[in-house]
Amino acid sequence: MNDSHDDRHQDSHEDNHEGTHEGAAKPRKSPAWSAPTGRRTDEWSECLVLIGEKQDRAAFTRLFRHFAPLIKAFALTGSTLSATHADELVQEVMLKIWQKAKAFNPEKAAASTWVYTIARNCRTDMYRRLQKFDTPLAAEDFSPEQDSEEPFMQLQSRRSAEKIRAMMGDLPADQKQILAKVYMEGRSHAEAAAELDLPLGTVKSRVRLAMQKLQVQFEHSLEAGLSQS
Amino acid sequence: MKTGREAAGRVEQATTMIRHHPELDILTEYAAGTLSLAQAACVSVHLNYCERCRRTVSQLQAVGASLFTAQDPEVVGDALLNKVLERLDDTPPLSYQRTPLSSQDATPALLSRLMAGDFSDLSWKNITRALRTTQIKTGDPQFEFSLLHIRAGGEIPAHDHRGSEMTLVLQGGFEDDRGSYRAGDFIHRSPEDIHAPRAFADEDCICLAVVDAPLRFTSWKYRWMNPFLRLQTG
Ligand SMILES: [Zn+2]
Repeated sequence: MNDSHDDRHQDSHEDNHEGTHEGAAKPRKSPAWSAPTGRRTDEWSECLVLIGEKQDRAAFTRLFRHFAPLIKAFALTGSTLSATHADELVQEVMLKIWQKAKAFNPEKAAASTWVYTIARNCRTDMYRRLQKFDTPLAAEDFSPEQDSEEPFMQLQSRRSAEKIRAMMGDLPADQKQILAKVYMEGRSHAEAAAELDLPLGTVKSRVRLAMQKLQVQFEHSLEAGLSQS
Repeated sequence: MKTGREAAGRVEQATTMIRHHPELDILTEYAAGTLSLAQAACVSVHLNYCERCRRTVSQLQAVGASLFTAQDPEVVGDALLNKVLERLDDTPPLSYQRTPLSSQDATPALLSRLMAGDFSDLSWKNITRALRTTQIKTGDPQFEFSLLHIRAGGEIPAHDHRGSEMTLVLQGGFEDDRGSYRAGDFIHRSPEDIHAPRAFADEDCICLAVVDAPLRFTSWKYRWMNPFLRLQTG
């Protein structure tokens, strides 16, 4: 499986939009998006829906072959997790996906974002377990309790996610490097600054510039100007 | 003093009036999962009030997903796949129900769990006549998570912070020289900031506060008083 699998990931960042990975392996049907409802029709969303509705093991196996190598990479990136822990994380994340697939709503989220969020939560929990945190909370408890139910908002948020994927490749290398440190290696801005030997303010401003370029919308707090370093 | 349930009804109303939000770097660290546990809890409570920041976070998670899918994959053998497939039968699917937005019991679930009850069930410690506080255990070894209760019209003497401080208004509101803050508002202060918050005259104010607490202080008694030690000496 791994040979064919690796091929799918030769894509450059420029091509990194939803549907790219399966698209390289076999001819792609039409766009992964169908306006105007924007319902996702990509393979991984379909797999998740099949798992959620029918506990479809074939769909689960397809999803595993695609995502498990990414989850393992995520486990090993910049962390002190051993190969054994990385395999353990792959198992945990894939079992969580199996358990939670019913909660996946293709109208609301891209499959990749949904899977990434689960992987992030499981990795955080594993770190905390290894550091023997005594906490009643799991990382998934920190997700906000409410999602936007409004179809227009859902459409908007899917569109901006799509834009983000499309524009990721255009980011300057220094900004991409910081984002990779923060998201993939799990470093705080302060840790990233220390590791890259940069002032914290530089790290923060690169993150801000990157998010501006990706057109992430955010609220400017009234006192943002006062408290920024 | 109002109970959590009474405060709850205001959450929805408050969503439209929120004016103070976490800065982008805090939301990014939240989305990437790199905030400390207590800080993440504080941001999470803000998100329950704030649709706009929820939207930002979902975009910031899309950024993470893009990086995630662009990684060089590691080799995963069929042995691991088979191991997982064998465990599926012992892993029944969960049914998930999201809390509808109009929920009446809107004390954020995360907070209710941490408090193991209502505001009135907590054991509060008086700091001044206008201020009492209670520390809530989250398991975060670095940051303290506590609630502050300021009596209506009460003032906290001017003080600064030894570390960074996140504050989230849960009920009522307060003002200082920079502005006024109501339920759902998020305030982040760096160590050098000095302020003298005063609760609104007509209602008690309850805030959640997350502060740096250096590990060298082992006594919880000493630790939770940290932010207030200076105000007593000046
Ligand atoms: Zn907000």
